[in-house]
Amino acid sequence: MGYSFQEKSLWLMAVGLVGWFGFYFGTVLPTETANVMPHQMALFVLAIVMLVIMQIVGHIVLAIVDRRSETDERDRLIELKGTRNAAHVLATGVLLALSAALMTDGNFVFTHVLLGAWVLAQLVQIGSQLFLYRRGA
Amino acid sequence: MGKGGGLITNEIRALRFHQGEMTQRELADRVGVTRQTVNAIEGNKYSPSLEVAYRIARVFDVPLEKVFQYGEE
Repeated sequence: MGYSFQEKSLWLMAVGLVGWFGFYFGTVLPTETANVMPHQMALFVLAIVMLVIMQIVGHIVLAIVDRRSETDERDRLIELKGTRNAAHVLATGVLLALSAALMTDGNFVFTHVLLGAWVLAQLVQIGSQLFLYRRGA
Repeated sequence: MGKGGGLITNEIRALRFHQGEMTQRELADRVGVTRQTVNAIEGNKYSPSLEVAYRIARVFDVPLEKVFQYGEE
């Protein structure tokens, strides 16, 4: 069975997230400071902007190539299941981030635990959806 | 709506054959779902909503129970 538009779109998002946030974390985490520094914020903004640009360009290309981007009840069910799984990860991450905020000085650890949890939650959502698409539902 | 546990089976493949080898794409377009969803329903991997089930039966012009069967455990 070939890949649907939705699956290609999810792969695009997964590659973008891993690529740009891998670059961000790989650059910022080794230079840990007490508080998030302006150049680290700039790198974060760069990662977000590049991710958005990659999504826009990628989806334009996908829409041209695929031409069938409609969704139905099965797509919505799969998205809901993915969102449910991601919510568990994000909730755990928020608790971890709050714990980190209480145990460490500055905002660096808190911010990055929270950001890491968000990225991980997104990846869990995408991974869940890709798994469900391959399984059928 | 949800994952088929194997209890609900269907005759969509046979019904498509008797409709002049109707393609999954054609059925999907007439029902208003994606081809991947028709494939998943046909393979008993996904149980459609009642609304989609009725729309499939309507395409083949047969009662719902001619399309879907609920087996005993």
